Amino acid sequence: MKRYLLAVLMILLLVAAGAASAEDVTLEFQQWWEPELPEGSFRAILDEFEAANPGIKVETISGPYLTTKDQIIASAATGTMADVVGLDGAWVNVLWKQGALASLSQAMMDADYDDSELAAQIRLAGQTYMIPIANFIYPVFVNLDMLAEAGIEPPTTRAEFAAAAIALTDPDNNVYGWAQPLSLEQPNGIQNDTMSWLWASGGSMLDEMGQPHLAGNEALSDTLEFLKSLHDAGVVAPGSFSMKENEKVEEFVNERVAMIVNTLAHFTLIRERNPDLNFDITALPAAEGYDGPRGLPYASWGIGISSNTEHQAEAWKLIDFLTSVEGNSKLTSIANAFPGNVNATPDFITTDPLFETAFEIFQEGYLANEFTGLPAAEELMRQMAEPFQFYLEGDIEVDELLELAQAEWEDIFE
Amino acid sequence: MVGSRAHIRRAKILTWVALLLGAGFAGLPVLWMVASSFKSNLEIFAYPPALIDDSFSFEAYLAVLGDPAQLRFFFNSYLVAIFVTICTVVTSILAGYSFSRYDFRFKRVFTLLIIGVQSVPPITLMIPYFGLIVWLGLYNSYAALVLTYMVFTLSYAIIMMTGYFNTLPRDLDEAVMIDGGGSFVTLWRILVPISLPGIVSVGVYTFMLAWNEFLFALTLTRTNDMRTVPIGIHLLMGQHSFEWNQMMALSVLGSLPVLILFLLFQRYFIAGMSAGSIKG
Amino acid sequence: MKRKFLPYAYLSPTLALLAALTIVPIVTVFLYSLVDNVIINQNPPVFVGLDNYAEVLTNRKFRGALSNTFYFAIVSVIAHFIIGLSFALLLNTRLIGNKTKALFRVIYILPWVFTASIIAILWRLLLNPHGVINFVLFELGITQEKLEWLSDRDLALNAVTFINIWAGYPFYMVSFLAGLQGIPDDLYEAGRVDGGNSWQLFRFITLPQLKPIIISLALLDFIWTIHQFTLIWMTTGGGPMRSTEVLSTYTYKAAFSSHEYSIASTLAMIILAICTFVGVFYVRNQRMADE
Repeated sequence: MKRYLLAVLMILLLVAAGAASAEDVTLEFQQWWEPELPEGSFRAILDEFEAANPGIKVETISGPYLTTKDQIIASAATGTMADVVGLDGAWVNVLWKQGALASLSQAMMDADYDDSELAAQIRLAGQTYMIPIANFIYPVFVNLDMLAEAGIEPPTTRAEFAAAAIALTDPDNNVYGWAQPLSLEQPNGIQNDTMSWLWASGGSMLDEMGQPHLAGNEALSDTLEFLKSLHDAGVVAPGSFSMKENEKVEEFVNERVAMIVNTLAHFTLIRERNPDLNFDITALPAAEGYDGPRGLPYASWGIGISSNTEHQAEAWKLIDFLTSVEGNSKLTSIANAFPGNVNATPDFITTDPLFETAFEIFQEGYLANEFTGLPAAEELMRQMAEPFQFYLEGDIEVDELLELAQAEWEDIFE
Repeated sequence: MVGSRAHIRRAKILTWVALLLGAGFAGLPVLWMVASSFKSNLEIFAYPPALIDDSFSFEAYLAVLGDPAQLRFFFNSYLVAIFVTICTVVTSILAGYSFSRYDFRFKRVFTLLIIGVQSVPPITLMIPYFGLIVWLGLYNSYAALVLTYMVFTLSYAIIMMTGYFNTLPRDLDEAVMIDGGGSFVTLWRILVPISLPGIVSVGVYTFMLAWNEFLFALTLTRTNDMRTVPIGIHLLMGQHSFEWNQMMALSVLGSLPVLILFLLFQRYFIAGMSAGSIKG
Repeated sequence: MKRKFLPYAYLSPTLALLAALTIVPIVTVFLYSLVDNVIINQNPPVFVGLDNYAEVLTNRKFRGALSNTFYFAIVSVIAHFIIGLSFALLLNTRLIGNKTKALFRVIYILPWVFTASIIAILWRLLLNPHGVINFVLFELGITQEKLEWLSDRDLALNAVTFINIWAGYPFYMVSFLAGLQGIPDDLYEAGRVDGGNSWQLFRFITLPQLKPIIISLALLDFIWTIHQFTLIWMTTGGGPMRSTEVLSTYTYKAAFSSHEYSIASTLAMIILAICTFVGVFYVRNQRMADE
């Protein structure tokens, strides 16, 4: 009898212990997306994941976008990094160098995963470290009323754009054709509003080896000369050298700027802020005579796994869910983004005519953001922005600008 | 040297003009902040700008106050700031007394040390400091924030307290000592009551710093239930766009309790309140 | 014997806290400045001696940042002192009723109660080319064009210095208000009996009496201003064309943008050296006061 009781107790204990250990996996997920999305909507998606994967809980650690990279670096250096992290293409390289990211190629192999549905993977040294799960492309937004008043069509070439910008500008009424944010705090204006012109005409800022190719790059110097001609013509909104992305949009929303290069992520915002604004989107104008596919700058919400995680398999399950047709459709629907899974269909693509246009632009062009995965990408942009400002002020010539930037970039690439 | 009536009147008018000019310099930008908190995000950037326009509403305030996470930020900010203020004030009174009234072997070394501690840019200290806090098991706790802000504020507080004590004549405490009071008694019974204005100003400074610090508050905490108001403000700065009016509303709300506190304590700055007691 | 031990006892809470929390990080940063490959690098650190210092000190951009920093700090400290003291004296006047003064005290302290990033954002709105300041200047006929306060290299450094002056003077004002309460009335009475006018009373009584506080404030504010990061970073980011680049923004970029943590640590040590140099003057002054 006694023995029997003991055995039962032992079994009970073992079962209890087993149950406890099975439900004890909590994944920490550090990202900046939760505050960006409608309240509670991101949690709802994670709840679905938890329901589908009993035994795994996801705890979100949310912070402001601007400090997320610094926070991940600091947490990786102190061993407190979350299991799963949201990533921007500009951060991957440094975190990889730091050894903070686990190879996703390995995780995919362990999980026997078929990656054919993924739209893109960010690879370094042959291994995947980030998977973009939501993409925001940057077409040109045009104010249709202002264009109609000036009697012009949305421009398709650089010459047309310059002509349109001149026609639209009226400084006495504080109206300008274009805005170019070149803040040195957030130098992503170099990526979105500067290099994008190069990519839209099939150009590249890197050579075949993936090394900087600025000095002696004719397509690039043409692009920068074109942009300077806009500044010299006085059609660029004032305050350019300290303007940030969010202020560029506010200028557009207030109808003081007629055309901007801008992310699709702003659709809802623009409509909310100024419901009367009549705007459309169009592909970035190309150089005269170029009729190849146009590179489209984009920003991604990417995802990666910490190299220190004790729950790699579970972490991969979360990524698997967020990149699956179902999970990815839901996330990109609430984020107004293009999906990271080629088969996912966010609902807005069929219900919103502007997104339909965007989708056409997206299909005719290709995703081009050469800064993704580069070392110290943000510093590269800044080292371009600084001499570019000197060039726009007339202190230096375009060749000097490119040589200066080339030297700085080579330093960083070393 | 009693001035004539006309003289006093002229002085009064001049004082009023100066006061109003100063108030414009200090207050107009803040007035603009308050005005912006009642505007729509569209109107904040409108040209020509207006102080109040059609979009006037309390929406931003409702959005901020309706968010339980933000209310928690407020609670945390109070808790941390009050603890930091009390601990810093007590510690700095003791240290300031030591520096002001004693001569000892390592005085200059310690003074330099206290200045030196303050002289390393916090940004560069962040990673090793973060590591230390994790190692001490304080990560994501109120204690981490309180101790950290004490480190930030102590140097300032001690140097200021030393400065205030130095302005007080020494015969004061010596009189007590001769009467047989110990140094501790002298400090609490004589110097502290006289230095209340100085202590309050150190306290106000400490409270402000703890209330407004962002970088370490963010780094040393992980979950939203430990975070403070400045993080709440930063969370309204999105990747692509800012909620301008809500940021302004949150700042205005955050400043109110601080201002009320200052109003309560400002009687210590009223001329003549304590001066009478120092007839040394 | 007991008296010898007392000052240390009063200092012990401070020393314990500082020793526990600052020695390790500061020594770590110092060691980082002597090696290469730290934090953002998986290779083992390599000892490079003073190479990092040589690299920083010979860099043209560093020297530009250094001179901007001194301009920013010195102008800020002087303006803080003048405005802070003037406001404190105004608020201390007996010509105005106490209730009125209470109101003005609260208004005058306003710039102090906001977190630095909100101050930066507020001033970006105010100084926007289409912002209210340009609007007022334009309507009053003072300017004919839209001034680009933060993106014109001839204006930007003065603009951020002005913002810092606005944001920082209440610290002085409150400290002086407190300090003024400690000046015994009989000093002024004696001064008046001797026939001193207001300026002389201020010059020969107020200023000397406040001297310990003035010196402490100036020292602290200098260090504080050298470390001012958020205000500059969020308004101009060090631009345009490096015209507002200061040591703190330069250090931040080295640490978190170029990811050269050793260089950032080296800069930190240079800033420490500058502040300690100023600190030595303070200590000397203290010693003279003691004697």
